[in-house]
Amino acid sequence: MQSKMKEPDPILQVENLFASTDNLPILKGVSLTVYPGEIHAIMGRNGCGKSTLSKIIAGHPSYNITNGEIKFSGENINSLEPEERAQSGIFLGFQYPIEIPGVSNLEFLRVSTNARRKFLNKEELDTFDFEELVKEKLELVKMDHAFLSRSVNQGFSGGEKKRNEILQMALLEPKIAILDETDSGLDIDALRIVASGIKKISNSQTGIILITHYQRLLDEIEPNYVHVMADGQIIKTGESDLALELEKKGYEWTDNFIKET
Amino acid sequence: MEIIEKIKTNKSIDKQTEIQKICLDKLQSSPLPNPKSEQWRLSNKSKFSNFLDYSVNEKDPKFDTPFPNTSESTIRLVIGNNCQINLIKENYSIQQVSEDKLVNYIKEQISCFDQNENWSDLLNLSLNCTKNTLGLKINGSEIPPIEIFSHASSNSLNAKTLVIFLEKNCNIDLLQINLGKDNSSLSQSTFFCLEENSSVNHGVVSYGENKSNLLNSLNVIQQKNSEYNLGSLHFKFNYARFEIRIKQSEGNAKTNIKGMQITKKDEQISTYTKIDFHGPNGFLDQINKSLADDKSHAIFEGSIIVPKIAQKTDASQLSRNLLLSNLAQIDTKPQLEIIADDVKCKHGATISQLNEEELFYMQTRGITLSEASKLQLSSYFQEIISFIPVSKDRWDLLDKLLNEN
Repeated sequence: MQSKMKEPDPILQVENLFASTDNLPILKGVSLTVYPGEIHAIMGRNGCGKSTLSKIIAGHPSYNITNGEIKFSGENINSLEPEERAQSGIFLGFQYPIEIPGVSNLEFLRVSTNARRKFLNKEELDTFDFEELVKEKLELVKMDHAFLSRSVNQGFSGGEKKRNEILQMALLEPKIAILDETDSGLDIDALRIVASGIKKISNSQTGIILITHYQRLLDEIEPNYVHVMADGQIIKTGESDLALELEKKGYEWTDNFIKET
Repeated sequence: MEIIEKIKTNKSIDKQTEIQKICLDKLQSSPLPNPKSEQWRLSNKSKFSNFLDYSVNEKDPKFDTPFPNTSESTIRLVIGNNCQINLIKENYSIQQVSEDKLVNYIKEQISCFDQNENWSDLLNLSLNCTKNTLGLKINGSEIPPIEIFSHASSNSLNAKTLVIFLEKNCNIDLLQINLGKDNSSLSQSTFFCLEENSSVNHGVVSYGENKSNLLNSLNVIQQKNSEYNLGSLHFKFNYARFEIRIKQSEGNAKTNIKGMQITKKDEQISTYTKIDFHGPNGFLDQINKSLADDKSHAIFEGSIIVPKIAQKTDASQLSRNLLLSNLAQIDTKPQLEIIADDVKCKHGATISQLNEEELFYMQTRGITLSEASKLQLSSYFQEIISFIPVSKDRWDLLDKLLNEN
């Protein structure tokens, strides 16, 4: 990221990150810095490492960091457990939200919210107080109260799952939210609802990373920066017009870039 | 023959009953189950022998049930504790069965016993005298929930027998609780006869303390248009066998079974089921779950028998298993024996570990790995537990017990 004058401390710094899974290198030197209030978009072909980057930042145990570091609020978090990262304010919105049969959505949301509140030294909420809070947040994503009594994501449509992710983001009030293809599988109306929810939750103190293939999400949420990933690296960074350029030209030029380098 | 001698020399058995004599005779020919037979081949020999180590005890010390009976409407009975009941109300009656009827019924059952398959019942009935046998005849409607306790006291082998006749058009919720004290063995045999149009929600919850053993046998006969729903949970036993034999004697009956066994340390808990369809249009939906941790061993063997007479049977049997440790062992064998040609029968088995993606998802929401595992396990239990007819306060106790274990 370009340096700024008198800017606040970055929320997230990914520095020359190399990572692999089953000895297969996936990330090959990714660097990225996010400051409060910024929205970053990461674009790139399938398999270029976008989702892997998001999972590694969230602490997925299947990936090994072989070089580089991830700093959150100035602290190295390479060795933190996923729940410690989440409690301190890192949120990952899943591309394919996981179904957990038998665990009530309401209880899951309450336990998660209280884990974050505990970290923030806020009072934990009992079922009654939590119901009040969740009712207010449901409005943001236009979700019906009935979804709370069902098992986590079980039987939800693709759009409902994504809205449930944004509901979780609203409840957890993260410092940084990484949203992995939150727009995939959404119709135009659902996309607008989700985008509007994200905009309402974000503020000058939060950072957002949108991982997407399409311009249509970026029409709703304009990013400050757009990064293009290929073969485990960020090969180009620009402003929001870079996404429009990509939409016109496609990803072929990224293939040429890889061949050349 | 050691077991026979043990029974015969038992000082507390002054006078053998007719049933005891019949069963002892049968046991003379093969005193122990055949370790090579399908029903016993996986049974841990040293644990089984530990079951028989304790001396037979017919006298029950004072028994405090593990939770108070807070609901006035619940009927609570403890087998062997001078248990007497003769309840005749406007809408229903619960009465003790006359000794003659009880003896005749048990004799009829024994005549169909297979030496290996029913060895647990033969042992139970040869050990048991009238005092530790409870026979109930239930009829009417709006019957309050019933709880029946069986327990084994420390350093002894106790045998308890329960026989229930559910008369026509009658339905009940029955929770049976089997408790094993420290270093004890409990032999529990239950006989259930469901008459036409009757239905029962039957819960069986069995848990032990340190080094307790259990042989729990359940025999159910369903007449037409009856419905038998069984929710069972067995945990915390050094060695436990739960044998379920259900016979739909005329077909046209419904059976739903949801069972679960949890093993830890070096425990062995097994469930054997045999569902016999003796008429057309029978229905079965069965799921058995095992959860094995540490160096423990969980076993499920289920068989569904569909002879030619049982056309249009609709039966499903599923065994789902969770291995929580590399040293734990699970054996599962759901099987079908079908002669009839117009039936819908399916069976299956899965063995897996805790779902890592589910765990990661919960962790990314700030839930610790141990909390996430607990949530996942409780969701695994829930399907079974919710099928056991327990009230809210009992459920809290069960939940506490499961979390502690």
